[in-house]
This record gives sequence, structure tokens and C-alpha cells, in this order.
Amino acid sequence: MTAIVTEGLSKTYKSLGKAPVHSLSDLNLTVEENEVFGFLGRNGAGKTTTIKLLTGLIHPTAGRAALFGTDIITPDARRMVGYMPEQPYFYEYLTPRETIEFYARLRGLTAEEREREWEQISALLDLRDIANRRIRGFSKGMRQRVGFAVALVGDPPLLILDEPMSGLDPLGRRMIRELILQMRDRGKTIFFSSHVLSDVEEICARVGILVSGKLAACDRISALVGDVAKSVEICARGLDSAFIANLGGQVISHEERKEGGHRLVVQDTEAANQLVVEINRAGGTLLSLHPVQESLEDFFTRIQEGAQVALPEEKQPAALAAAEE
Amino acid sequence: MTRIIAVAENTFRESIRDKVLYVLLFFAAATIFGSKILGWISIGQDIKIIKDICLAAMSVFGALIAIFIGASLVYKEIDKKTLYTILAQPLHRYEFVLGKYLGLVAIIGVAIVLMTGISVGYLYFMGGAVTLVWFQAILLIFMKLALITAFAILLSALVSPIMGAIIVFCIYVTGHATEVFKDLPPQFDDTISRQVLEIFYYLIPNLNTFNLQSEAANNVPVTGAYVSFALAYGLAWTAMLLILACLAFEGRDV
Ligand SMILES: Nc1ncnc2c1ncn2[C@@H]1O[C@H](COP(=O)(O)OP(=O)(O)O)[C@@H](O)[C@H]1O
Ligand SMILES: [Mg+2]
Repeated sequence: MTAIVTEGLSKTYKSLGKAPVHSLSDLNLTVEENEVFGFLGRNGAGKTTTIKLLTGLIHPTAGRAALFGTDIITPDARRMVGYMPEQPYFYEYLTPRETIEFYARLRGLTAEEREREWEQISALLDLRDIANRRIRGFSKGMRQRVGFAVALVGDPPLLILDEPMSGLDPLGRRMIRELILQMRDRGKTIFFSSHVLSDVEEICARVGILVSGKLAACDRISALVGDVAKSVEICARGLDSAFIANLGGQVISHEERKEGGHRLVVQDTEAANQLVVEINRAGGTLLSLHPVQESLEDFFTRIQEGAQVALPEEKQPAALAAAEE
Repeated sequence: MTRIIAVAENTFRESIRDKVLYVLLFFAAATIFGSKILGWISIGQDIKIIKDICLAAMSVFGALIAIFIGASLVYKEIDKKTLYTILAQPLHRYEFVLGKYLGLVAIIGVAIVLMTGISVGYLYFMGGAVTLVWFQAILLIFMKLALITAFAILLSALVSPIMGAIIVFCIYVTGHATEVFKDLPPQFDDTISRQVLEIFYYLIPNLNTFNLQSEAANNVPVTGAYVSFALAYGLAWTAMLLILACLAFEGRDV
């Protein structure tokens, strides 16, 4: 079963006296069950808007979405979801124990189930020591743990986490990463947003990249990166300047290495083979040869730049629409 | 229903732990006893005035709780984002609004019970008799406060707490003087302002309906029929305001 399906999901914020903000436009997305899906985008790209739509906090301007086949506008859809907001805020005057109890009651768990829920969740998130301290004095990392704990209450099959790792120290990030993987192994679906690629690269099967409210790319990481990961870097020694001067057009870039020798980048493996033959013929020594993988980071930047160039054209219809209103 | 109760209990707990209540209760008690210290009355002399002051204090301090906590009740949750994780639960929004409302009404109820206890003890000490009409008067004050709280929660779903508090305060004050809008002096006859002001008469609940202060002070019995009428009037207003509050909150983006 698909965990999340969105069809033309859009959100436009309108406020008096201001131009409408198209925070999300025509999002079509499918997330399969038991998948870890990374939702990427810069600040202001529309990630939180999407997540608030999926959790029923805001209402779509157009389009629809369903979680495990239940339309998001019904409260029943929220049975399927555990949600952790960007910065989880809870009642400061409650303790973690009371907080879990409260959310468990909102989910309609019986007293016994609530007790069991606390036992499991507090063990998983290491909340026992701080069980009876008020949240008021908690650090960011402790709050994040409580936030994750609340998302797990009622054992929902889908976890939607908004920037779960932002603002955490490396240890905290690793904890969240491990929790996500642990939840995946238990069969849960995890949809989380981030603006940091390294968070996503390691644990996500698929990613969606959001640029200015539009889904710019959505695929397996290997597919997204694979497309462009063809160029090859060759390092060689003992090449004379005549050889360098006569290099063909297939060499994209070349530079002299500080430690001696040359670094050459060619377009593809075919060109690389050819160059290696030429280097041997000229009496040079091959030092290394390896494919240049475009990291997701580079890919991301490239997509963003592409969108930036396209932006002035895109803006026009929006401006027209605003004028008509 | 369990979800409404969970929200209500939590609201109750919040107010207890935030200690706002203690401050107000302190002032209420101080007013009641202060009247003695200030030398307005001496033992056995004027029970009437003590009763008047006690009821006025309950009404005013109850209203302060209703207005100050009530006007920020929903707004604060949006502002502090505590609402996000709550509305993301399988919970209808009206359940949240009603839970918040009932929690606050319970707080006010506790405050009223405490103030009643203090006042009865004090009256006894001063040698005054407490009869049924005393409790009827307090019951209607409670009804009035429940109505004011409903106004406050409606506004807290619509406007900022300061704005909401000011509006509810105005309603509280004009609500005690709605007859003014009805019985206008003759120079208003056949004017637009007369019609506008008459609209006010119907838009603002008549809070004097709940005022048994002079009857209680003078020990004049009040019929059960009147009390029932006043309660029905208050409940009808409260129900309408709560429905509006739920509707206002239903479609709102948070
Ligand atoms: N309540 C709102 N009213 C108006 N504009 C909003 C509101 N919330 C978000 N936006 C705008 O929508 C865009 C997307 O915001 P958001 O979804 O929070 O981005 P992200 O989470 O990716 O950083 C931003 O331009 C933001 O300014
Ligand atoms: Mg965000």
C-alpha cells in the first residue's frame, strides 16, 4: 500500500494587503510503505507547508492527498501519522511522562496501553532519567527526544518529521539517524525534510527536491546522481607540454598538480580509455583514474541554480493572477 | 469525549501550575478582608455591605480570570506552536476548543468555590446569616462568568490576546448596562443611531440578568423560576458563542 499520495497539492497563503504567496504548487508525490523518503529544499522552499498540509494543520488551496488511502481532511488520517514539528514545542509545565500520557489520551489509548506505551517509548528514547522533570528547563537535544517520543505515541505506521536534525550536535544527529533506521526496520514509513544533504544521502532510499514550492526532482539518489556521474578524473606524471598542448576536446579540464604531474578530467569512460592509451604512448605514467561522482550537494546546487534562472518567467503568471484578484 | 476531557484537564493543570490563579485569589481575599481593615465596617454592624463587597469581588475577580486567561487560551497555543502536535492527533478541532473552554470554566469554578468558602466563613465570623439566596446569587455569577469565558475563547480564536481582552472587557462593562441601549432618551427618536444602538442591545448579553447582588445583600428570596430562567438565558448564549468559536477555529490555518 502507498503511504502517501498527493495529487496537485497546492497552498497559497493570502493575507490582506499582501501579494499571495504560492508556498506549494501542484505537488504530485508518492511514498511507498516502509520507505525512508527525504524531502529536500532550501529554507522557504515549502517543506513545512507540505508537512502541515499532510498533518491537517492547514488546508490545501487545491489538490488532495491521502495517507494509507484515507483523505487528509479527515481526523482518521491522523491516526496513521506521528508528527514531529520543526521545533517541537510542548507544554513547558508538563514532564515528559505527563506529555506522553497526554498525547496517548488524545489518541484514545486505555490506561493500560498508556502505561505500556510509556515503558516502550521511554526506554527507546532514554527518557527515564528525565521522566519527572518539567520540560521548561530542557536543552534542544532533550526536547528533540521528547518530540520524537510524541511522534511514536500510538505506534503510527507513518512518521512525518520536519527537519528532525536541524540544530542538533553531531551526536544528536546520529541519534536521530539511528532512530529513523530503527523505525524503518520495524516496518514504518518515514517522511522527513531537511536542508542538509548529508543527512539524507546516507539513510534515504528516495528523495524529492523542492525548489520554490515546486518539486524539481524526485527519484532514487543513485538515479539522480547517476545521470551526471560520468566524468572521469585521470592523474598522470611525465607528460611534456607538447602533449598537453595537443590534448583533444574531450578533456574538460586540466591542471598541474602541486605534488607534480597533471590532473585531467574527461567527459566519459570512453574518452578516458583513449587518453590512457595516449598517455602510455607518450611515455607518461598513469597515477590514478577514478569516476567523478557528482555529489547530491552539487546536484542540489545545480537544480537550485536552474530554478533561479527560470524564476523571472515563472513569476509572471503569479503577478498577473495577483493583479486580477 | 475522553479527548475533550484530556484537553480540559491539561488546561486546568496549566493554570494551576502557572500560578495566575493564586495571584487573583490573593487579591480577591485581600479585597474581602481589606474592606474590614480599611475600617468601612465594624463587627456586627453592616452585614449588608460585606455581602455586597463579597459578591462584587467574586464577579470582578472571576471576570479577570475569564478575560485574562480566556483571551489568550487558543492564541497562545498557536503562538507557542504547542498546537501543532495536538491538532496532528486524531482529534476534531471542536474537541480542542471545547476542552480548552471546559478547563478554564473548571478553574473559575474552583476559584468561585474557594471564594464562597472564604465569604461564608467571614460572614459567619461577622455574625451574618447565610441563606439560599446567597448561593443562588453565586450560582448566577458563575453562569455569567461561564458566558464571559465563551466570549473570551471565541475572540481568542480570532484576534490577539490584548485585542480580545479589551473587547471582552467592553462587553463585560456594557453587558451590565444594556438597558441603556434600549431605553434611549427621547432626542434619539427616529434616528439612525437609535437603530444602531438597539442592535447593540440584542448583540450583547444582558449581564444584569445574573445580578442578584441586592437581593442577596438584603436577604430577599428569589424564586427558583427566575434562577432557572437566568440559567437558561446564560446557557443559550454560551452555547451559541461556543458554536461560533468552534466554527471560527475549524477552517483556520495554524
Ligand atoms: N502563514 C504563512 N503566511 C504567509 N506565508 C507563509 C506562511 N507560512 C509560510 N509562508 C511562506 O511559504 C513559503 C514556504 O515556507 P515553508 O513551507 O515554511 O518553507 P520551508 O519549510 O521549506 O523552509 C515561504 O516563502 C514562507 O514565507
Ligand atoms: Mg521549514
